[in-house]
Amino acid sequence: MKPVEYNTGKIPNWCPGCGNFAIWNSIKKALANLDIEPHKLALVSGIGCSGKMVNYVRSYALQTLHGRTMPIATGIKLANPDMTVLVNGGDGDGYGMGVGHLIHAIRRNINVTYIVHHNKVYGLTTGQAAPTSPEGTITKSTPFGVVDATINPLILAMATGATFVARGYTGESEHLTDLIMQGINHKGFALIDVFQPCVTFGGQYKYEYYDERVVKMDKMPSHDEAVKLAADQEKLSIGVYSQYERAPYEARHPEISRTVEMKDVSKLIEAFI
Amino acid sequence: MEKTFVWKVGGPAGFGITTLGPVFAKILKDCGYFIHGYLEYPSLIRGGYNSYQMVFGKTPVTAPKKRIDLYIALDDVCFEKETFDDDTIVIGDFDNLKKAYDIKGIKVNVPLKKIVEDLNGKDIMRNTAALGASVAALGLPKEVMTEVVAASYPGKISKPNVDAAEAGFAHCQPMIKLEKTHNASCKKAPVMTGNEAVAIGAIRAGVTFFSTYPMTPASSILHYLAKEARDYHVTVKHAEDEIAGILMAIGASHAGARAMTGTSGGGFALMNEGFGLAAITEIPIVVALSQRPGPATGMPTWTEQADLQYALHASQGEFLRAIYSPADLDEAYKFTVDAFNLADKYQIPVIVLLDKFLSESHFMAGDMSTDYGTMDRGLIFKGNPETPNEHFKRYEETENGVPTRSIPGTPGGLFVAGSNEHDKTGFVIDSAENRVYQTDRRFKKEPFVAAEMPHPYLIGKEDAPLTFVCFGSMKQVLLEAMKYDDRFNFIYFPAVHPLQWDKVADLLKGKNLVAFENNKTAQLRALIAENTGIYIKKTCLKYDGRPFFTEEVVQYIGEALK
Repeated sequence: MKPVEYNTGKIPNWCPGCGNFAIWNSIKKALANLDIEPHKLALVSGIGCSGKMVNYVRSYALQTLHGRTMPIATGIKLANPDMTVLVNGGDGDGYGMGVGHLIHAIRRNINVTYIVHHNKVYGLTTGQAAPTSPEGTITKSTPFGVVDATINPLILAMATGATFVARGYTGESEHLTDLIMQGINHKGFALIDVFQPCVTFGGQYKYEYYDERVVKMDKMPSHDEAVKLAADQEKLSIGVYSQYERAPYEARHPEISRTVEMKDVSKLIEAFI
Repeated sequence: MEKTFVWKVGGPAGFGITTLGPVFAKILKDCGYFIHGYLEYPSLIRGGYNSYQMVFGKTPVTAPKKRIDLYIALDDVCFEKETFDDDTIVIGDFDNLKKAYDIKGIKVNVPLKKIVEDLNGKDIMRNTAALGASVAALGLPKEVMTEVVAASYPGKISKPNVDAAEAGFAHCQPMIKLEKTHNASCKKAPVMTGNEAVAIGAIRAGVTFFSTYPMTPASSILHYLAKEARDYHVTVKHAEDEIAGILMAIGASHAGARAMTGTSGGGFALMNEGFGLAAITEIPIVVALSQRPGPATGMPTWTEQADLQYALHASQGEFLRAIYSPADLDEAYKFTVDAFNLADKYQIPVIVLLDKFLSESHFMAGDMSTDYGTMDRGLIFKGNPETPNEHFKRYEETENGVPTRSIPGTPGGLFVAGSNEHDKTGFVIDSAENRVYQTDRRFKKEPFVAAEMPHPYLIGKEDAPLTFVCFGSMKQVLLEAMKYDDRFNFIYFPAVHPLQWDKVADLLKGKNLVAFENNKTAQLRALIAENTGIYIKKTCLKYDGRPFFTEEVVQYIGEALK
């Protein structure tokens, strides 16, 4: 299929210039390159601008609740491991409300690809602070500046044992397409944190900001290097930070069955006699 | 009136109180008695006071009593917690018990500590030695006891326990002449908890996915399914919290699994948003909800029926749900099977409402027929391989308000399962016309679901001067009380929502009604009033964390009919 054939006919209602358009295009290109048919694709999203992706990519889609993409995606993959499961969510969704589920998804190494739209702000709810907003950021919910420390998703993911950790940027869409393909091909949980400027509520974190700082890594760094690069706020390195092999979750569940049928329970009942 | 007998054992947690119940139950049923085992325990691992009460007799017994006929005291704490009658037999190691000097009852001294020491056994085996003494006191045959004890303890601990039971038996003379019974059916009757019946019902119905977070008194559903997961192909997940618990199940159900979760009120509170997600996306889900006293942590190991109105209203917005309220093992098993079919057929969330009393007490099964139920997965799109990547009108009515499901992976069945209001294909849309269409369509299912729910019915003599109205496990309590005073009948609700309320109203008319509930505010009464306009003025309520004891019901009837 061609990327355009993954369109649903619905026109995205993101703001003109929104970084989501680039993510949308990269997803469609990655799916086309990997030849994943829409009926074999389970698209999952959270709530927020990123969550609208379910309406624009031809697939079996499930738009979940705010912060709750990971358990839904886990249930889908465990029930039908043949589906390619691709998740979109915002940084508020995934690193705020959903951060607990994220850590457990990483622990489980569930074989899904999770694209986090990282824009340092709550866009759809008109601009409150995100867990990724740097200290001091003034927003509607933090008029005196953010006082909470900032979550660093890459370090968090590496520290909790994620088997695939990458960072992309919507200003580098070919690179992003490649990361998404690598994430889908990875046998296990793939976190792709994507700098996706919110052109309306993103404050200083717009394309100009990222264009000045984003650098492509030419190879995967060592673990120590990866942590340093992830912590660097001036040089923003994009690419794969960490990848290693571990059996994916569904492969560790031999009980998985897709056959739903009435079962003979006579032995179970007899055990109580 | 037929005599039922109450045997009870008490002591601190860690003394093997809870393991003794099922062993004694097996001895009794092998001797031809009907049994009911009621367990009380606080929320701790060591210490405190645990007790296990076994009620038994020649006819089915279904509820606990206050009066104790024979008691095994394993520790001084027992005398702070229990009161005895003059003729209660109290078995204990009285040389080693210091607070028993002023208790009522007939003391039977059995040197439990010495018995166990002589056998070089572990301290905990005092429980088995005491069991042996009680079996002797009841005049029950030693051979049956030995056989059951030998079979109940595995491997290396089998013989020491048999030795302890036999030594205890030798220290006691028959003191009671139980009524003889020859009921061979008891020997073949399964004894289990309500939760185990629910779990077996789920396996019968072909559950393939169960995920939750442990919470008393629902945890044993998780434990049972986890144990059987590989033999019966159930993916069982202990998730990070109840939010993830219900959402994993919803994700699995979306992808074609038969999915279930199970919890108590606090866990269900966390599940509420997910419960609503299942409703708007019309993804079938079954929730076993076992009530305990709330709010918040409440009384974790005790019973109450105070989540009825909560189950009816949980989660924001207006949507259809169905709630079964089984009373016994047979219903817990069958209604769970039915709940899966109902959830699939109507694509709604379905609750099987339990309480600690049903979930964790031991009952004897009447009819858990192994061939109960047939698979009904409802309307499912078969697929269209010619246009595999086309969208499908998943949310368009096919019949009775019910649309046709499309399982991910099916060619030609693409759709969006949207937590936002959505159009027929599932795409988000805010239009007024669509909102009314989808809301009306989802609610159109209600009368069809109501027609499939088990209907309330009258138990007892038609013309009784007093009619209790109850749901769930209270049926068991009232059936037991009826053996002692049959001047009442009762209307039992095996399900609470949705119902054919015009028929319920007919059932209620012209009777001296009393709301009989294990809660403070008579929540079933409120539901009945809301739907029929009939307000039941009289109540018989209990909300101290315990089920009604038979004597309390009999006393109420006596006073009401004075």
